[in-house]
Formats: sequence, C-alpha cells, structure tokens
Amino acid sequence: MAQKSFRQALNEALHFEMGRDPRVIMMGEDLTGGAGANGVKDAWGGPFGVTRGLLDAFGPERIRDTPISEAAFIGAAAGAALTGLRPIAEIMFVDFAGVCLDQIMNQAAKFRFMFGGRAKTPLVIRATYGAGSRSGSQHTQALYPIFTHIPGLKVVIPSTPYDAKGLLLQAIRDDDPVIFLEHKMLYDTVGEVPDGAYTIPFGEARVARDGKDVLIIAIGRMVQVAEEAARKLAAEGISACIIDPRTTSPLDEDTLLEFTETIGRVVIVDEANPRCSVATDISALLADKCFDALKAPIKLVTAPHAPVPYAPNLEDAYIPSADAVVKAATSIIKR
Amino acid sequence: MSSIEAVTVPKWGMTMTEGKITQWMVGEGEHVTRGQEILEIETTKVTNVVEAAATGTLRRIVLKEGTTAPVGALAGVIAEAAATSEEIDAFIASYADRLGAGDEGDGGVPVPRTIAVDGGAVNVLEAGPQGDETVVLLHGFGGDLSTWLFNQSALAENMRVVAIDLPGHGASSPIAGGDVFPKIVSAVEAAVEAVAPGKLHLIAHSFGGAVAAAIAANRPSRVGSLTLIAPIGLSRQISRDFLVDFVAAERRRPLLGVLERLFADPSKITSDMVEGTLRFKRLEGVPEALSAIADTIADDNGQLQSIGDQLQALTCPVTLIWGERDGIVPVPQQAEVPGNVQLRIIPGAGHMPQMEASSAVNEAIMENIQHG
Repeated sequence: MAQKSFRQALNEALHFEMGRDPRVIMMGEDLTGGAGANGVKDAWGGPFGVTRGLLDAFGPERIRDTPISEAAFIGAAAGAALTGLRPIAEIMFVDFAGVCLDQIMNQAAKFRFMFGGRAKTPLVIRATYGAGSRSGSQHTQALYPIFTHIPGLKVVIPSTPYDAKGLLLQAIRDDDPVIFLEHKMLYDTVGEVPDGAYTIPFGEARVARDGKDVLIIAIGRMVQVAEEAARKLAAEGISACIIDPRTTSPLDEDTLLEFTETIGRVVIVDEANPRCSVATDISALLADKCFDALKAPIKLVTAPHAPVPYAPNLEDAYIPSADAVVKAATSIIKR
Repeated sequence: MSSIEAVTVPKWGMTMTEGKITQWMVGEGEHVTRGQEILEIETTKVTNVVEAAATGTLRRIVLKEGTTAPVGALAGVIAEAAATSEEIDAFIASYADRLGAGDEGDGGVPVPRTIAVDGGAVNVLEAGPQGDETVVLLHGFGGDLSTWLFNQSALAENMRVVAIDLPGHGASSPIAGGDVFPKIVSAVEAAVEAVAPGKLHLIAHSFGGAVAAAIAANRPSRVGSLTLIAPIGLSRQISRDFLVDFVAAERRRPLLGVLERLFADPSKITSDMVEGTLRFKRLEGVPEALSAIADTIADDNGQLQSIGDQLQALTCPVTLIWGERDGIVPVPQQAEVPGNVQLRIIPGAGHMPQMEASSAVNEAIMENIQHG
C-alpha cells in the first residue's frame, strides 16, 4: 500500500470528493495558495499545502479565496450548507474561530434541532491546531473541548494519515456541521493510505496498540506521544494499550468503557488545557460508569493551564511528553 | 570451535518490529531437538511460538520472560555440550555487534507490489530466493496476504514464495459485475503468470482453495503440488452465518465477534487484525464485491462450489489440512475426500490452522511440496 503524508491524505480526500460531488465547494483565506500574488496561482497549495491542485482541478467558482474575515465566510458557508451545497470552510488556525462562534455554535449547530430535523447543515470547518510549530500563543491552542461541549457539532481529530483521509471523506458526506481539526505537527507524518476512497464512521475509537497492564487514551498528536511512551514502558516490561477516540463528539464510550473494565489502570493524554477538557470529560465518564473496575486513580497528562508560550524551550515543556506519560503509567502500575 | 546456534526474536509479518518474551518452554540446561517449540513471543499482531533451529542444549537464556526486544535480538543460545562457557560468552558478545547489521532492517523487508490485470490490480508480496519453482499462497474469504505471516517467511528460507491478495481483499481491487468466481480465478492466474513463470506449488485456504483447485484444473502441467487448508468445495456444510455477518460487520466490535469464530482460541485475535480487515472492507466497492463472493460460496442450502472432481483428476500430490475444531467449514467425511488426496487433521486448531498451529502446517506443506 502506498505511503503518503498526512497532508497528501487530506488532499486526496478533497480531490476525490470534489470530483465525485459537484455540490462540494471550498472557501477560506489563501486556499488557492497565492492566487493574485504576482500572477502565480496555486503556488503553495494553501497556507499548509493541503489544497494544492484543487484550484486547477475545480476552478475559482468552487475554490474560493475569502477576505480575512472568518466571521463573514463561516457565516456564508453555513448559509450555503442550508441551501443545498456542501461547503468546506478552512480556518487557518483554530484560535481564530473565536470571532465566528456565533455562526458556529449559535446558528449552524442548532439548525437541525430548531427546525425539527428538517434542516440539514452539511458544513465542514477544517482548522489547524496544536503547539510545537513556534507559532505563538494565538496560533497554537488545542481548542477541541470548546466544540465538543456544543451539542449539534461533530468534532474530528485524526492522528494518522490513514484516518485523516477516511475521516475527512466521512465529514464531507455528513449532513451535520463537523469541526475537523488537523495538528500542524502531523502534516509531514507518513503512513499507509489506500489510493481508493473509504470512510471511517464517527464515534468509533481506534485501538492503536494492544496491551494489558495500562490503558493510555490519547487524542490527536498525543497518540504519537503515547506510542513513544508505550515503547519505553515495554522496555520496562509494562504492556500498554493505546486507544485513540478519533472523534470527541460523538465519543466511542463503549470502547473506552470496555477497555477500562478489562485493564483497570488508565492514563489520559491530552494537549488541551486541563480544565473542562476532553480528558476531564472522559475521566468523569470512566469514574462514573466503571469505578469498580479501576485498580488505581485515573491519571491525566495534559498541558498546563496556561497559554502556549512563545519561547521554544517553554513551548517544548508545555507539550505533554512521553516521559510524563511513562511516569504517570508507572505510578499507577505500582499501586 | 563447537557448534553454537542463536535463538532470535523472529520477524512475523512486515510490520513487526519487536516482540515480548512471554514464556520459555524449556529451561537452561535442557536438551532441545530441532523443530521443538521452545519459546513463546507476543507481538502487536499475535502470539506465536519459536521452534529450535538446531538440536542441542539450551545453554543460555539471554532474554528473560517479560522482556520486550527488537526483531533479530538474541533471545537464547543452543549449543553442543562440548561448547565451553567462554565460547558461549564470546558468541553472545559477538551477537550484540551483529544486531542491526544484518537483513532485519527496513531495507531487508519485502514490500508488496501491484500487478495490473484485466479489470483491476492484484497485490502480491514476494519473498525467498529466485528459482524455477514458486510457492503461491492464496488466502480465504475476508482474509488477505497477512494470513500467511507465520508461513511465508518460514517457507521462503529455501524457495520463492508469493502471497497474493485475492480481488476484493487486502490491497487488490474488487471484481465488478457478474461471474465473480471465474473472474477472480482469471485475475489470480494473470498475476501468477506475471510473477511465477515456472512450476507452481499452490497453497490455499478456505475460499482460496476453490480458486487454487480451478487454477490447477486449468493448467495441471504447471502445478507441482497442491496443499489446501480447510478448502470449500468438498461438502455442503458451511457456516453461512459467518459469511453474512462478516459482510455486515462495519465496525470494530461486531467484526471482532465474527473473526473470533475463525479460531479455536479467540484470544488470538488482535486489534491489528481487526483494523487490517476493516481497512479493506471500508474501501469503496469492496462490500459489494464481498457480498457477491459470499453468494458464490454458499446459499441457504450450504456450499455451492465443488472441487472434488478437479482434485481427483490431478496427478500431482494433493494434501488437505484441517483444524479439528473448524467452526466455519467442518472437516469433511472420508467419503467426500477423493482417493488421491491425503487428509491431515490438526488437533486443537480452528479454521485458521496456518496461524494457530503454524509449525505443523508448515511441516505438512513442505512435505507435500517435496513430493511434487
């Protein structure tokens, strides 16, 4: 099977679905990757190179560069979704979603509920998230807990190139608004991705690694951190199971509960700030539904409750590390 | 210098990078014979046993139980009684230098390739030295070429071995339209022609058995031997529920429940196996193709294929291998087995003896090939 980067996998999904369904359109800032700059079109493939080739393939009617106004084009995308199109709107950094929360959480998320299920809003909002790229505190947050909190939104956080393609195709075909979050530090990761189209259903966690001594639940880029930790734990004779929820809304509660029941020791790794987060949400779920199966307290390994620092050494220290996961895991193994 | 043999962490399948020593089945100082199961290793895919490559004494256990080590790491040492402790120590020290310098690195790992055939592409994985004869491995319904992860490398020590993803499985494209079975046979034949020009030794499992029997019937002069593992086509009995439920299972948990029926010991199923199966099942066009294949295998009255006459007409050696506890395609009655065919029953195994009892199956395959 072909090896492809996370970026290529996303690009393939966009190419495939736009070719298959003429209702799919895209809008965002610099999507066309330099159109208008010295007459160069598609020079970069968008700010992160994900949309390369789409303008040539589908033209400016379907690949729309927008003004720097997230509030305007997210609102336009939500409206377009209501009229029968299937828009994909790209917010360069999820941190900028703050200016369009009304369109997202007060409009798009509610249409299905407010109109008795008769209104569909097939809107995908793609955005980058996450620390590690030296982009400063206004371009690096992991804001998925905010969207996960809002009923009516589906929230997707892929961790591998394979999942990125299958989940994005699923997102575009979904009839509800989907927040699709791409970690900037994952774009160059490489993995096996089939050439053909496939979809991965929402609400199904991936068991990334089998193990029996400790369960590590990890989100997005933190799956890589968990895998590094699992290798270190294996060298110490500790067998770690890793589960990647893939979507935080809907959340695959059954799989999380099933593995917690079996293993009894849980570490949750989350790059988001710790208060009111997905990590605390999952922790509460496990404590409520399978407290008797727990052999030790649930451990959370998260970023600190602080903005992402700009100084490289502080930014590195901010991101949850494999060593921190190993420390958390061994602390509950020994109990 | 006395003869000293290494027991190493083997590489089972392309993705295996490390293994955990779960059990030594013999202790230091005990006598072992070549082929004896001496060590159990757990991987992210499955747990399997390692056989002794030489007869002698297990002189040293290097990797204790519970240790995880990379592929190729020295797990223990088998030597003649005459070997001194100093010689053993020197061997262990020299082995540390060899780790990573051999062919276990990424460069030595075979990578599948795609063969273009009429109406699609067939994925093949080649291993072993080039030669005039080729062993061809065909998996069953719902499987893929990783079905053979415990067999291909063992067989490839001496021969060229090609594992094939059947159309609609693994990374091979599905067959579209009607006449599914002959189209699958023809696609596999085309792929075999492209990669294996000489004499063929066909090894096939379950549904793949009917494909292999058809190929053998089409070109008997090319086939040196035929080894079929729990093939369809000899009796009417089959678990049609397995076929229906396999096609219907779209998510991890229901699929796990279906795959467990393949094994006498369901704990053999790993998440990698489930995920790998879901990967090809989710490709567009595959569910429809699998449904069409299932319909060619059985209906409400049982199996639809028949291979008895084809086997009877062959002059090459034909061996059937069956897991005693096969819950999908039960062991046939003696009257259903053609007279020229040898039947070997593997105790304690289910529908996947090539994974559950790989040593016994590899031995039976080699024996049949040698007769061919």
